[in-house]
Amino acid sequence: MADYKILFTGSVCSGKTTAIRSLSEIETVDTDAKVSDSVIRRKQRTTIAMDYGVLELTDNAKLHLYGTPGQERFRFMWQLMMSDLVADAEALVLMVDNTRTDPFKDIRFYVNEFRDYLVKRRLVIAVTHSDVRANPDYNYYMNQLKRMGLFTTVMFVDARDPADVLKLVKEVVGRREREVDWSALAAKLADNSTVPEAVAIPDQIVSSEAAKPISLIDAAVNTRGITGAMHLGGDRKVIDSNVASMQSQALLKAMVNLVSALEQKAAFLGKIDNFMLCGEEQETLSVFVEEEQALGLCSDKGLSLMVVQQQASDLLQWSRNENE
Amino acid sequence: MNELFEAVDELDFIEGCCLLKGDQVLSSTFPAARRHHETIAKKAFIYVFTNASKLRSAHDEAHLEIGDKRVSGFMLEGGQILICLSSKHTNVVNVRNNVRELYNGFQQQAQMA
Repeated sequence: MADYKILFTGSVCSGKTTAIRSLSEIETVDTDAKVSDSVIRRKQRTTIAMDYGVLELTDNAKLHLYGTPGQERFRFMWQLMMSDLVADAEALVLMVDNTRTDPFKDIRFYVNEFRDYLVKRRLVIAVTHSDVRANPDYNYYMNQLKRMGLFTTVMFVDARDPADVLKLVKEVVGRREREVDWSALAAKLADNSTVPEAVAIPDQIVSSEAAKPISLIDAAVNTRGITGAMHLGGDRKVIDSNVASMQSQALLKAMVNLVSALEQKAAFLGKIDNFMLCGEEQETLSVFVEEEQALGLCSDKGLSLMVVQQQASDLLQWSRNENE
Repeated sequence: MNELFEAVDELDFIEGCCLLKGDQVLSSTFPAARRHHETIAKKAFIYVFTNASKLRSAHDEAHLEIGDKRVSGFMLEGGQILICLSSKHTNVVNVRNNVRELYNGFQQQAQMA
């Protein structure tokens, strides 16, 4: 009996858990917990340890599917999985959410995190959510990856569709397992599909409060320790804010003005990622800037600056949805 | 403050230090290739700490990530500002904890003397 392993990784909401559920013939082992941070913007529950599923390819070949938690704060699990559970995996499938503001930032981040792991195994990039946002398209991915020096396979998949995810498996083990009947396997897994059928949505559901997306500001303050947020546009003017303290508001604006000035006068030193103002007894004020937007956050003095940075990064990666 | 300056400068992950009083540089170990970072950090921290003071805020520490570097500013007694240069990839908590511990240690020594 041949046993193969594939490790799925990628940002929160990129479809790792869904892909494994689509393929697994057993009840998947997952470790979902209620979201307690800015991820609330995209979903109610998230993986905190790992996902596991199994697929029998033939009578003589079995595939074990492992998924990492998406959030960077569970990075210790990535290390644990790489060094032990999936040290002998065939490939790393990097799930990339096409609705993120900059999907290539995610690719750079994960390739860097898994660099050593990738020395001995294949990388396959699986782009998801392209039904929500079609661009960047396949050609753009290939060109950008070439520029990044990454010569790898890119596939656009719907993680909810077993037949689609099965293509990833075929790409990884297909050459070695020539006896697999891929069509029959897809038919066998059809019941795992969670692709919604195209039906008309009643008006009352469309207009209900529950259907409204959670705003970036609300998502920011869903993180324990983050007490206020200010969203600014490319012109560095405030789009939305719930920062209660006038003092913090004024300081955040001063910080944004400073960053704007530095962006013009010190561009030769490189991009400004963030600016933080702290005090032993003060709430921490942080400004995170990107070309098209900026985010100001107020957080408890005890909240780790690393956590604040990660939350801001995720919030900015999803903020493009708000304007569309 | 010179003792603090020297002690911070000796930390492994600190690539250069600068001690300011007003807009005057009292001492600096910033590498020559990083003079631009020093200039930018000076202006940025004077601006932000002045604003904090005007708004009656006790914020006394700031970190600015620019390019592959981070400059950290600490407001000290007597209107002095200590600026440290480190790699952006250095844990910022390491920078702040080490500088604060050293600063508190030197302040205690001064009070006992």
